[in-house]
Amino acid sequence: MTSETLVLVLVVVTALGFDFTNGFHDTANAMATSIVTGALKPRVAVALSAVMNLIGAFLSVQVALTVTNAVVKTFDQNATSASDALTVPGDELLAIVLAGLIGGIVWNLLTWLLGLPSSSSHALFGGLIGATVASLGWSGVNWVGDGSKPDGVVGKILLPGIASPIVAAAVATVGTWLIYRIIRGLTERYTQSGFRWGQIGTASLVSLAHGTNDAQKTMGVITLALIATGRWDSTDSIPLWVKVVCAVAIAAGTYLGGWRIIRTLGKGLVEIFAPQGVAAEASSAAVILSSSHLGFALSTTHVATGSVLGSGLGKPGAEVRWHVAGRMAIAWLLTLPCAGLVGAAMWGLGNLFGLGVGSVVEVVILLALAGYLYWHAQKTPVGVHNVNDDWEQPTAASSGELTAGGVR
Amino acid sequence: MTAFWDDVQLAGEAIWRVLLASLVLGAGLPAIFALGIRSLAWGTGGDAEVDHAPGHPVGKVVAGFLFLLVAYGILSGLLFIIASGQGKTLDFSTVIPTFTEAS
Repeated sequence: MTSETLVLVLVVVTALGFDFTNGFHDTANAMATSIVTGALKPRVAVALSAVMNLIGAFLSVQVALTVTNAVVKTFDQNATSASDALTVPGDELLAIVLAGLIGGIVWNLLTWLLGLPSSSSHALFGGLIGATVASLGWSGVNWVGDGSKPDGVVGKILLPGIASPIVAAAVATVGTWLIYRIIRGLTERYTQSGFRWGQIGTASLVSLAHGTNDAQKTMGVITLALIATGRWDSTDSIPLWVKVVCAVAIAAGTYLGGWRIIRTLGKGLVEIFAPQGVAAEASSAAVILSSSHLGFALSTTHVATGSVLGSGLGKPGAEVRWHVAGRMAIAWLLTLPCAGLVGAAMWGLGNLFGLGVGSVVEVVILLALAGYLYWHAQKTPVGVHNVNDDWEQPTAASSGELTAGGVR
Repeated sequence: MTAFWDDVQLAGEAIWRVLLASLVLGAGLPAIFALGIRSLAWGTGGDAEVDHAPGHPVGKVVAGFLFLLVAYGILSGLLFIIASGQGKTLDFSTVIPTFTEAS
């Protein structure tokens, strides 16, 4: 096996690892509200979400080769053949993609440990930006668009990152307010059971949209690596095996369930009741679908968090725990720089040892870090048994360093 | 800096349209669903409402219609996901959404 083949295999495996973390990191976006209101049993919720993600991943046949292009100048879309389209030599591209993926995974695992919802796409982009700056310099990064559509770091990441939680929160606030206005005079028990059905429908829709959007990113990254090594030469199709493994990886991650994040989003931010859950997921689904229709890339995580926040703002008398929201906002601000630093450091390591050996070193370090974070998380496990425990009261699981609420 | 402000302006236009569409679908449909629950409660009567008034059959009919409306909205959303995944768009000019090639 040549060193290039070895690196390619490592890139593919790491990309699938990222896809897997993407899955469990985002289970909360669709299912947190249904789990806390009891609309779905926790295991049933993650299983339903996993199936919807799997179906969603197969539904998308569009090619997301340009996913890296949003932030890194790697790909000339006007080129006629795939190999001509690369603007960066293949081995350099592989080194950037591997380092960037590792940056994304490390940030995803750290935020999972802390129980913070944060955008997987931002983590991936951050890692890629860091690795690109280290490799090609600041000019290698696509900072702004060309004036025809919102693009680059500003148009695809920063502005949507600021706007999407606000838009989602506004929609969910209006939806929640309307619902509570309309159901005034009905008994609590009657409304809860009715709205739980609505929750299942809207949450499934969000899961499906997630599968189509997010699995596609990893498919694009793997296909890009295949093109970089001359093993694929089409810009308008993706190898079937890539589609299958990506769909399975994101569905498996979803089924695992990021319970720590589900707990924060479902219990930590707002105490959610079934009518609020319907308003939140309907808002998420509407914002995600309408923005993808308009070609405006939003992060599912930012939208879902904004929606949950809005469901607290719109219900008369409900409390929003702003300190939890503030902690999330800080995590979002740190996503790009932190994932970028890891990406840049990983690229540096790879450069130090040379592509072949360096890639092995990078992956070994990733595994060691992932193992450490997992071990750390096991000290205060969050799972089906305690995901719905009261937020404020200390529980058996949240004793020790993670006190009230499970995140610090 | 012009490129930066171009991005801000383009994103602003997109965000505005996303907000309008989402308000109609993301807040409007749940409100219709809530009206459906309300009608169903009116139709069921008894323990569904705080005042325990007897049920009125018209309520159930109205509720069924409202739930159908919501189902139509959700189905359109599903078809939309499928269509955009296949590189097509949905045509809503007739009542039944149909797939068309994306322009």
